[in-house]
Amino acid sequence: MDVLGQDRREGLGRKAESRVGLLLLILVSGILLLSSLYSAEASVFRKARETVIDAAAPALKVLSGPIAYVQHVVGDVQDYFHVLKQNQALREENAELRQWMNEALALRKTVESYEQLQHYYAPPEGKPIDAFVIGESNDSFTHSMLVNVGAKGGVERGQAVVDGGGLVGRIVDVGKNASRILLLTDVQSRVPVYIEDAGVEGILVGRTGSRPAVSFVESSDPVNFEPGQRVLTSGAGGVLPRGLPVGVVTAARDGEAIVRLYANYAKTRMVRVINYQFPAVEPVDAGSPEGDRSEEQTPDAGPQTAADASPRPARANAPTPAATTPEADPFADTDEGAPPDDAAPSSVAPPQTAAQPSGAAPQDGPRLAPQGG
Amino acid sequence: MSRRAEGLSRLAKAATPTVLGLVGVLLLALPLRLAQGVVPTPVLPLVVVFFWSIYGPSYLPAGSIFVIGLLQDFLTGGPLGLWPAVYLIVQYIALSQRSYFAGREQGVVWLGFAFAAAVAAIILWLVMSLMSGALLPVGGLFAQMVATVALYPVFAAGFSHLHSRVIVEV
Repeated sequence: MDVLGQDRREGLGRKAESRVGLLLLILVSGILLLSSLYSAEASVFRKARETVIDAAAPALKVLSGPIAYVQHVVGDVQDYFHVLKQNQALREENAELRQWMNEALALRKTVESYEQLQHYYAPPEGKPIDAFVIGESNDSFTHSMLVNVGAKGGVERGQAVVDGGGLVGRIVDVGKNASRILLLTDVQSRVPVYIEDAGVEGILVGRTGSRPAVSFVESSDPVNFEPGQRVLTSGAGGVLPRGLPVGVVTAARDGEAIVRLYANYAKTRMVRVINYQFPAVEPVDAGSPEGDRSEEQTPDAGPQTAADASPRPARANAPTPAATTPEADPFADTDEGAPPDDAAPSSVAPPQTAAQPSGAAPQDGPRLAPQGG
Repeated sequence: MSRRAEGLSRLAKAATPTVLGLVGVLLLALPLRLAQGVVPTPVLPLVVVFFWSIYGPSYLPAGSIFVIGLLQDFLTGGPLGLWPAVYLIVQYIALSQRSYFAGREQGVVWLGFAFAAAVAAIILWLVMSLMSGALLPVGGLFAQMVATVALYPVFAAGFSHLHSRVIVEV
């Protein structure tokens, strides 16, 4: 008794026609797919994505609450079975961390005294925005998460997202009240990083598996890295802050370093979006004798995530000497005789490189101006 | 008034498969993390599309499937048009073999679904590999499709109950 079906068939036409509609819609999907292949970042598609995220956010918010609760409870039940072992492990870890804390406190004092000696101006720090994960793409090839803050909360495209462990990903779509994080494991994810002890820069490339790889584009020489070395964001490209912990090198494969991420995507629940303001570069004086400085600089970081054209001064606290261009002279500004109207004392200014936007007027001795924190 | 209520209930019943598909998409967009992320979330809309394409294609017109797939693309952040194409092709496969599957035992239909899921997986892998410019690893996709196929009998039992007792019964 397919009564309703009969009705609909009468209303919508015969069966043969529905097959035509099906083929037509397959064709439409194909065209859509082709057009998104060629212009994935077209503003129409982006706008549509952001609108849909916004529209779905309330439903996802409501539904993700109970899911998180159940996961919390289930996690707790599992914890009961391992309580003794975990307690033991935590005690050991605590003892180790205490040692680290003492060392860190001592180092902080030392650094403070150095900073006073050097008239050091700390680069502006990122202001974190707390967010909850309300959605996650359970898709084998696209790895992303949705969080419950958007443009209204100050989130912008390209910002870094971290959780308790380390870098989670970066923001790619921003709705009004929700935004999408592209995870580091996504095929499209490219994040500039460096390996701390090896002192080399590279690009962290997502491979859809749980472990992304650092591929090196900078040098053709064999890169010396070893398992156990830390991987941090390099800040190249000026989109992400430098020094966010990413993971640990576990192995080498085809000249690439396989990275075990600090972030555990199966447990990511609360994240922080880092509202990082890139240090502004003030044009000091146009047309001074050293106008050709920008040409000395070699664009060194290879493909960058975004904002390729943004100026990227190296940071004074860069831990790796090889990470920045060799031309960056820490004392360059003292030689230039910076104009007196500059606010920053120029005895020892942070080293600066200036990969300038091609269309910009020549700027000399771009100055790192700490912006309001 | 009762006429209107009847019309509403008809509409609700006719829309049930579409709504189920949309719920399946929502499940794919939620941080479910079954067994702490070990078990991938099954692709419920694939089951919905296959099931109703065989047992009641008029309840799940191609337009509904297109919308379901498009919503999935939007929510999971993939290239637009991929999932609509996959679901519509699965519907095409199911429709073309409908006369064969009608009245067969569930095991045979299950095999048919496994075949459709394999076709879907191949399309997904091909398109995504083409888009990323590299041959992508198939492990995750394989696991997800295995989970979906493994859960098909459970969903199909529920759906056939729903279809024969609630939707078709007036």
